[in-house]
Amino acid sequence: MSSPPVSFGVPPSSAARNRKRKAVRAPASPRPRPALARAALVVAGAGLGATTALAVTSETASQLSAPGGLLTFAGSLTGLVGTYLALMMVLLVSRIPFIERVAGQDGLLRWHRAIAPWPISLLAAHALLLTVGYAQAARTGVWHETGTLLTKYPDMLTATAGLALMCLIGVISYRALRRRLRRETWWLIHLWMYLALAISFAHVIVLGPSFVGHPLTQVVWSAAWAGSAGLVLCYRVGLPAVRSVRHRLTVTEVQPEGPGVVSVICTGRHLDRLAVSGGQFFCWRFLAPGMWWQAHPYSLSALPQPPYLRLTVKGRGDHSRSLARLRPGTRVAIEGPYGTFTRYAQQRPRALLVAAGIGVTALRALLEDLPRSAAPVVLLRAGRPEDLVLHAEVTELVRQRRGQIHELIGSREQAAIDEVSLPRLVPDLKHRDVYVCGPEGFVAAIVDVAANLGVPPDAIHHEAFAL
Amino acid sequence: MKTAPWLVLAGAVAGFLGVLGFHRPASANALGAAAGPTAAARASVPAAGPAASAPGARSAATPAASSRAPATAAAGRATGPIEQYGYGELTARVTVSAGRITDVQLPVIRTAEQYSQQLASQVIPLLRREVLAAQSANINAVSGATYTSQAYALSVQAALDKLHFK
Repeated sequence: MSSPPVSFGVPPSSAARNRKRKAVRAPASPRPRPALARAALVVAGAGLGATTALAVTSETASQLSAPGGLLTFAGSLTGLVGTYLALMMVLLVSRIPFIERVAGQDGLLRWHRAIAPWPISLLAAHALLLTVGYAQAARTGVWHETGTLLTKYPDMLTATAGLALMCLIGVISYRALRRRLRRETWWLIHLWMYLALAISFAHVIVLGPSFVGHPLTQVVWSAAWAGSAGLVLCYRVGLPAVRSVRHRLTVTEVQPEGPGVVSVICTGRHLDRLAVSGGQFFCWRFLAPGMWWQAHPYSLSALPQPPYLRLTVKGRGDHSRSLARLRPGTRVAIEGPYGTFTRYAQQRPRALLVAAGIGVTALRALLEDLPRSAAPVVLLRAGRPEDLVLHAEVTELVRQRRGQIHELIGSREQAAIDEVSLPRLVPDLKHRDVYVCGPEGFVAAIVDVAANLGVPPDAIHHEAFAL
Repeated sequence: MKTAPWLVLAGAVAGFLGVLGFHRPASANALGAAAGPTAAARASVPAAGPAASAPGARSAATPAASSRAPATAAAGRATGPIEQYGYGELTARVTVSAGRITDVQLPVIRTAEQYSQQLASQVIPLLRREVLAAQSANINAVSGATYTSQAYALSVQAALDKLHFK
């Protein structure tokens, strides 16, 4: 292949070119609809309330006062609520598009992590409470009762195996331990959670006092689980597979952009039909030896220019470093687009865009997508001048939009962005949304500064990348 | 979204109240099929003892000694209330004569589905034997049938209370 290198530069802003470009430009991703997400929250709450009520209605006062009655009740309550929360955990990461568009993947992941300890500890409590409660009722030892539960009750052996697996994964996911694992290893272990949930399902229906003899409850509960499994399969497996096959992306070129930074340019079919907004990211799976089994999130570093897509990556981990060695012709599978770091997030008339290091990639694509009225002010931070990648493109986009660009080169102390320097650089901050993209620490610092300067949380948007 | 917790809370209250309002005990609807006299659980309930045919033995308590005399003097027959438990409902009828529990029967035992029926048919004879041996409702639950055992003991105790049996 000896074709000339693909140029992903900024198109000139003449009116004629604009019209032409609009014709081939990919459609924007659908607008977020917060009302739908709110409705989903109410439905999720209703499920939680209904689940709690199920536990309450299956008890009678006389049962509560019988030996082991309180423990048995607490056991079934923790079991039901824990199982329901586990279902919510699954739904939070099922990539349901209308929720994803409002809350964003990082927002949903934050919730997922915040809830995570609850279902596991509630379900462990469920097992303990019921064993002790049943032992008290039978006036027998806990160990004897454990044996009875495992051998005499239907579906209890698999449920116990499920719980053990769940606890094991829970312990591994605990922060201190998780840090010692490679991201991919941890992710693969984490997937076993689906198995743990699946094999624990039957004992609820067969043994749960709220379910036995209540066919409607059984049907509704089963439908909720089957529906959730369907959503996960559809949006985590089905949709990405369909998109990957449809667009059939292949690597065309790998271009160096700066020290350790490369742009990967992919060619695909029907890219004029791939709805994506500037600032969004895909999870990329390069079907090359040693890489095909892991997908990594990288932002597009420009809006699609059919038949081309571009991502720009800095070599930090094993995966991003190996991108530099990608061969042209390598097939690429995609999941996405995801992310709320888009023009739809904008609350105020104008915008301030701040990026550090390789965070400039998402900013570059967002800049291209922002309305011209946003008159963007761009702050680029970098340790050294050569680390300012995509600088020419950003400068050109800012010029076309009659905005301003400031480069802050040097160490954090030399080129600080703080409560003193930011208002000086951006006097009209109170009319601007703040978009921040960069390493976690940088993003947190800028979010703090903006908040201290009175920018409301709704108008601060960030995309942090973890190492 | 700042309103998120409130939305979830509102949904939770609505869902909770909805289920409470909609809820029917298992016995009222789904148990109908198993309630017939041919149900497995029923068939294995110990046959009625001789005292069952005694005239005047209504479900109401008919204690021989109406005074608050020591309970050992009690005699008669009483039926406990219908105890609903997770998997069904049952009522125990206890016969006491000469200060001893001589028989326990279950005029009503309805269970939800086959597994519970099977279980009930196995454990009810055991529970009856335990009551007769212990001469009280203070019995050990049969492991594997905690709910059934609890309901059985509760109904027996209620019947014994009617007879002022201690």
